[in-house]
Amino acid sequence: MCSGVAILRDKLTDPLILRHELGWRLHDRSLDHSGRFEARFMFAERRPQLPVVHDGQLVIYEWGMAFEKNRKCFRVGYCKEEGLRADNWRYLKPEPVVIPADYGFERGVWFAIVEGVRGIVVRDEQERPHVFVLTQPSTHYYQMMTKRDREPVLVEQVI
Amino acid sequence: MIGHVDADCFYVSAERVRFPHLTGVPVGVIGNHGACIIAKSYEAKAAGIKTGTPIWEGVTLCPDAVYVKRDFRWYEALSRKMLELVKEVSPRVEFYSIDESFYEVEVIDPHGLQAAILERVGVPVSVGIAPTKTLAKLCSDSSKPFGVRIVTSDDERRELLAGIPVTEVCGIAGKAAIKLAAHRITTCDEFVAADNRLIRKLLTVVGERLWYELRGEPVLPVLISRAAHQRIARGGSIGRATRDPARVAAFVVRNVERVVEALFYYQVTCDQLTLSLDFRGAPGRAIRCSLLGSTADTGDLRDAALWLLPRVWRPASATVHYMHVIADRLRPLTDRQRSLFERRTVKDERIEFVKRSINDVVGRFALRSASTLPLTDVYDDPANSYDIPDIHGKTCF
Repeated sequence: MCSGVAILRDKLTDPLILRHELGWRLHDRSLDHSGRFEARFMFAERRPQLPVVHDGQLVIYEWGMAFEKNRKCFRVGYCKEEGLRADNWRYLKPEPVVIPADYGFERGVWFAIVEGVRGIVVRDEQERPHVFVLTQPSTHYYQMMTKRDREPVLVEQVI
Repeated sequence: MIGHVDADCFYVSAERVRFPHLTGVPVGVIGNHGACIIAKSYEAKAAGIKTGTPIWEGVTLCPDAVYVKRDFRWYEALSRKMLELVKEVSPRVEFYSIDESFYEVEVIDPHGLQAAILERVGVPVSVGIAPTKTLAKLCSDSSKPFGVRIVTSDDERRELLAGIPVTEVCGIAGKAAIKLAAHRITTCDEFVAADNRLIRKLLTVVGERLWYELRGEPVLPVLISRAAHQRIARGGSIGRATRDPARVAAFVVRNVERVVEALFYYQVTCDQLTLSLDFRGAPGRAIRCSLLGSTADTGDLRDAALWLLPRVWRPASATVHYMHVIADRLRPLTDRQRSLFERRTVKDERIEFVKRSINDVVGRFALRSASTLPLTDVYDDPANSYDIPDIHGKTCF
């Protein structure tokens, strides 16, 4: 799967950073702290978010949806591509989107992403948008890298 | 004078050409199977990551490092662009390896060449210039990253060699270093100060050539074309170790098809075939067989390799994780020894031609032997599309 993504700071506008209070998400990846900032979005956060290109605009949406079952709260943030193809999500009227990302993260491994990750946006009862990351069975390579049996569907890229 | 151009952390630099945002951040390039780091940036190196480090250790050493899947096609494309630029400044250039080349220096302008490669290819290189190939390589190695070093006088040569471990010299490693150490020769200056008869006794004429080279007397020429192959080998790790006979046989056939590609490229045939297998928890084994005449035919080589397989694989319960198919005793295609029992027909040649033509257009292995069907998962996995030894024309591995 993909438990986090990072996007370069230069790709985010100042108003977007201010509106969504993204300042705390900025990290400098360079070892010499030369100011190569990127914004990190992790699924493990209390209220995870993702950048999404929706209707041609870069916006920030909530990553997945929280559910309660047997008094336990859990969050669903991924959508299997096979399930989407089988129309299992049709009743939610999913819209395909691209999650722009420069790096993906899984089990401690940051990997380079060329363009972005494919996802879907669905709306809840209050018409609030939620984004889900599309996943597919891992290639042998991705499985070796991350020890995961599912990987994100990337735009024009296979790992 | 001879120049040596050596790209600085080439695979990482090549990735930074197309992903400039990787500049300045720790980067590791992952090898053919997604588990080992085969190249690292200087930033990753500073964090303790070494070539060959497994990715799970790399993650601990440098949590912020970014990992990139190797793309040998891209690296080869940039390598050939670099080579073209070196050819612009010299009529005699040796394509030594994917990231290195030697050239005969006509005009000493290493900074100009360095700047041209950086501007037109995007890859930083170090350049060494010296009277011999071995010294030129030491010069560029000692000036990394993005440095230039020129050795023209004896004093400069002595300064270069002072204190450098003899194992830094290409061609001296392992057993050779142990033999030298027994005679208290551990550095390059000690090596050149030793008697050449002793060096020849210890390291044969190959070591003696290096002795002359390090003294500034050129004996190794710049090779503008690759010397004829002694043998051609294809193979490597097979990913998940297995004891499934069908899967191992399919890997043998895959490697035979890679060998046949190389034999066709170099227009040679072979008289012998060797199959070597490495096992988990048991010593590796290799067996060679002579072929009926010189051949580069897929059918002949596949049959020979599959005949060898049960003879090498004893006991058959051993788990195979590494293999090589090696074509030995090569002859030019035009000078091949024909066999009385030749089976190859015009129809076979047509089939080979059609297979090659289709694969050239549609993609490598698009048409392949049905014996490789147990490897459908490998062929369907785009991560397995390219292997580094299949870059043709280098003088070194």
